[in-house]
Amino acid sequence: MDILTLLHRDIKWRFHNAFTIVITILQPMLWLVLYSAVAGQSMKGIGIANYTAFVLPGLIVLVSFGACSSSGIMNYLMKADGSFYRILIAPVKRSSIVLGQVLEAVVCTFIEVIIMCIVSLFFSVTIATGFTGVFLIALLVFLTAFFISGLTYAISLCLPNEVIYETVMNAIVLPIFFLSTALFPADGLYGGLKIAINLNPFTHVINVLRALILQGNIVVRDVVFVVLLLVVMCGISFSWALHRLKKETAL
Amino acid sequence: MTAICVNDLVKKYKNGVQALDGLTLTVKEGEIFSLLGQNGAGKSTLINVLTTYLRPTSGNVTMFGKNAYREAAEIRSKISCVAQRTSIDTHLSLKENMIFQSKLYKVPKSESGKRMEMLISCFGLEKYLKYPVSSYSGGVKRRLDIALNLMSNPKVLFLDEPTVGMDIQSRMVMWDMVKKIRNDFGTTIFLTTHYLEEADQLSDTICIMKNGKEVIQGSPKALREYLRQDMLKISFSVKKDAENCFGPLKEAIALKESDLRHDKIITSLKNGRSDLEKTTRWLLEHGIPFLGIEIVQPTLEDVFISLTGENGKEAS
Ligand SMILES: Nc1ncnc2c1ncn2[C@@H]1O[C@H](COP(=O)(O)OP(=O)(O)O)[C@@H](O)[C@H]1O
Ligand SMILES: [Mg+2]
Repeated sequence: MDILTLLHRDIKWRFHNAFTIVITILQPMLWLVLYSAVAGQSMKGIGIANYTAFVLPGLIVLVSFGACSSSGIMNYLMKADGSFYRILIAPVKRSSIVLGQVLEAVVCTFIEVIIMCIVSLFFSVTIATGFTGVFLIALLVFLTAFFISGLTYAISLCLPNEVIYETVMNAIVLPIFFLSTALFPADGLYGGLKIAINLNPFTHVINVLRALILQGNIVVRDVVFVVLLLVVMCGISFSWALHRLKKETAL
Repeated sequence: MTAICVNDLVKKYKNGVQALDGLTLTVKEGEIFSLLGQNGAGKSTLINVLTTYLRPTSGNVTMFGKNAYREAAEIRSKISCVAQRTSIDTHLSLKENMIFQSKLYKVPKSESGKRMEMLISCFGLEKYLKYPVSSYSGGVKRRLDIALNLMSNPKVLFLDEPTVGMDIQSRMVMWDMVKKIRNDFGTTIFLTTHYLEEADQLSDTICIMKNGKEVIQGSPKALREYLRQDMLKISFSVKKDAENCFGPLKEAIALKESDLRHDKIITSLKNGRSDLEKTTRWLLEHGIPFLGIEIVQPTLEDVFISLTGENGKEAS
């Protein structure tokens, strides 16, 4: 009940600041369109038939980062000119406050992912695993966004202002994106680079998403592994966010 | 009945600042209670502890018989607080802000609609309905802040420096509003201020605090001798003149050591105008080089000095 009240307020914030949707989707969308047009030709040579379908999973992760980062900004704005402090003395559980905001980021991520998927349709992307695949993709997107937004919520309460926050988020997102299988397959890699990419949890998320889109069969073991991994990561990031919020009043 | 009971309250911030230092006070139900103190006295800290925002270091706070920290959840639904800085969501409209507040406090929908209309008209907010909240002036925002904090029909409303930075007209309007809230809704009001006349005009009970501790608590009537005492102020051009005059003048009229304040002598008047005349005559007869002499109302600083007998002003 409280969660819905807060979620509703946060969604209104998002629509009031609709440019945040545009800005966070702009870059992944450019990648999607440009790479499909430019890199698609050269990638055919190494056996990737539809490069748009190949990069879509990585761009889904990228778009989640964008949407969830801007949800962290909300904390700064609400503190400076909003109800951040008023809510903390209202009869509302701390966990509901975090959950409301985290779920808003999830909703925003879904909106952006759906837009990306619709655009991908024009590049002949289809989901090879059909309806079950779509459901599993939605589940993975939900968990990914939940994890990232818990993380950005906690980070935003750790850092003093939004400029530092933006800088830190940029410094986190790009290495995670490039040190993953977002843009190329990991098959030909070896050594330290391969280890780094395999340690990146998003590599596994992207791989499973990619398999669901490109391959007709669902590898249950991989899917279960990634879902469990994400559930654990969600638990950790949510607890951290909650802990940070409780620390706000422990002066 | 007692609404709030604070006993030997200590709050030490993690950075080492001790903002409350064994404070004790009692607030009766249905009264307007003013906490009077200078900047940095610890007023906001106290409000933050009372509103369950901050955890006290030691001491006891009970509200309606419930412990403010251990039973915070029960207390939260009974109180609300207009903070020093307004706390309104500018991405929501005026009505959306009020509805949001009522949902946070789980006010039934049937009730919240009626209450909202009533508060909007009570606080004269109708004409702002069609404008975005971000365009409101500071005064209107503050009115909205108070109105929305009344959506949950709190038993205690906390107001942290509700008139700070306002001109005298707006302050008087605010005073009427505060009285109206108490009279119409029966809300207990706990406000902080550093304006002497505000506490005097508005409250049923005043508690004067300094350095995190209460100095005195009582009704404006009981504190009258401190709050409305006429003061005689003699100004000199330099500190030295004031010091030279102080000794001989002390023989002529009764002065306390604390009456000498930098380049001024400020003392409470015992016999009104006749003291003024007597002192003026004495100054002129003795050829004392003074700049001016007048009767003034005491400032908060004067009240502290007469209460504690210490001269709090640094000799700059
Ligand atoms: N969050 C905080 N952390 C550390 N010290 C604080 C904090 N808030 C206030 N203080 C200190 O506590 C003292 C009392 O401040 P405050 O309660 O705001 O006084 P007032 O509201 O009467 O002006 C001041 O010395 C102030 O610097
Ligand atoms: Mg204050």
